[in-house]
Amino acid sequence: MIPFTRHMKLSVGVIFGLALCANGAQAPQHIDIKQLSTTVEDVVVPLPNEIFGALNKLGTVNWKEHVRNDKGPNFTERPRIALLLGTVIADGFIAVQAEDAPAVKEIGQRVLTLAKGVGVGNSITPHAKAIIDAADKRKWENVRQELDRTQNSVQQAMNEVHDEKLSQLVSLGGWLRGTEVLTSVVKEHFSADGAELLHQPDLLSYFQTRLRAMPEFNLPIIRQIQDALVEVKPLIDVGDRRIPAESVKKVNEITTRLGHGIVMKD
Amino acid sequence: MNLFAKVLFRTSSLLLALMAVQPAIFASVDDAQSFALQAAEPYVKQGFQVREDYWGGDLGSGEKKAVRQQLFKGNEYWFWLGTEVDRAKVSVHVYDSDGKLAEESDSWQKGHFAAAHVIPKATGSYFIIVSVEESPEERTHWALVYGFR
Repeated sequence: MIPFTRHMKLSVGVIFGLALCANGAQAPQHIDIKQLSTTVEDVVVPLPNEIFGALNKLGTVNWKEHVRNDKGPNFTERPRIALLLGTVIADGFIAVQAEDAPAVKEIGQRVLTLAKGVGVGNSITPHAKAIIDAADKRKWENVRQELDRTQNSVQQAMNEVHDEKLSQLVSLGGWLRGTEVLTSVVKEHFSADGAELLHQPDLLSYFQTRLRAMPEFNLPIIRQIQDALVEVKPLIDVGDRRIPAESVKKVNEITTRLGHGIVMKD
Repeated sequence: MNLFAKVLFRTSSLLLALMAVQPAIFASVDDAQSFALQAAEPYVKQGFQVREDYWGGDLGSGEKKAVRQQLFKGNEYWFWLGTEVDRAKVSVHVYDSDGKLAEESDSWQKGHFAAAHVIPKATGSYFIIVSVEESPEERTHWALVYGFR
């Protein structure tokens, strides 16, 4: 993939001009979604900071209380490392929200160690350095961008060697940690809009489908996550109804339990 | 002509021939992504964070592809579509899970660039429909990137 910064060198004005003079696109006001089923691509899993950004708009969040930078144990099983890697990258986004430079730097190092553990360290080294440099200079936007690049590079490197399943576990680890923090924040200061951020049934189904296709990863934590997603599904797949405080609390209990399972040895 | 000259001539001819058809052979989704990112550039200055991840592929003229994306109420999104085929015409539109057009009126389409602006009214799944409306190529690479703030 081509880094975004390379494109920043290209002309800005030309495209902005295009936007200004472009004709308004005509599109049907309504389409039949069911007819799309055969051509729909997989979802792109949102980064934790997409959810955190939406949370921030609902009120002040004390991000410092969610920062976690303990090193934790080292695993040898690659699926466990992949899950933990996704979780640690999500922790990086939390540390950025809290503007906690020491935590970001430790997380940068941890990401590098974990990436080496799954054989993709080489693609991560420049990003880890960039994360640490940007944290030193407190350039939070740069840290955010490098964390995104880190996750992308890790997953691309995995995909290139046909480790797509590990790549999916990285996304899952990040999603679980993001959901744990989201529910923790909303549980403390409940609002219907905050709870609505949990309305992600298609993403949950996506992860369920992916996990079902990983029978070779016969690990307790994978089975626990599969069981937990079955529990979570009815709590967040509510259609047009609102997600109550009770459900938020329950999802928080489940994702916190899984979070401990991901970072601790069996 | 001696052997060296013959080899040189043949190699040069092959290289020239390859250069002539280079766009068709070597063009890729990465090239399309470069154009999608060009379209995104002005919006970065407005505070949009552009994701490194992207969708891509190739489509024939008149073909469409739908991609599904989780959007969060409270955020604002732009989706940018691009192709390296400069005489192609592409479009991107966003619908909610009921199939209702969900984009803002400042969404735009201009030749081989298009963009859709969404301020979600609800958190949930949305469908982004990309289309190659016209193209001189049999198959046209496309790439879709998105940003949020």
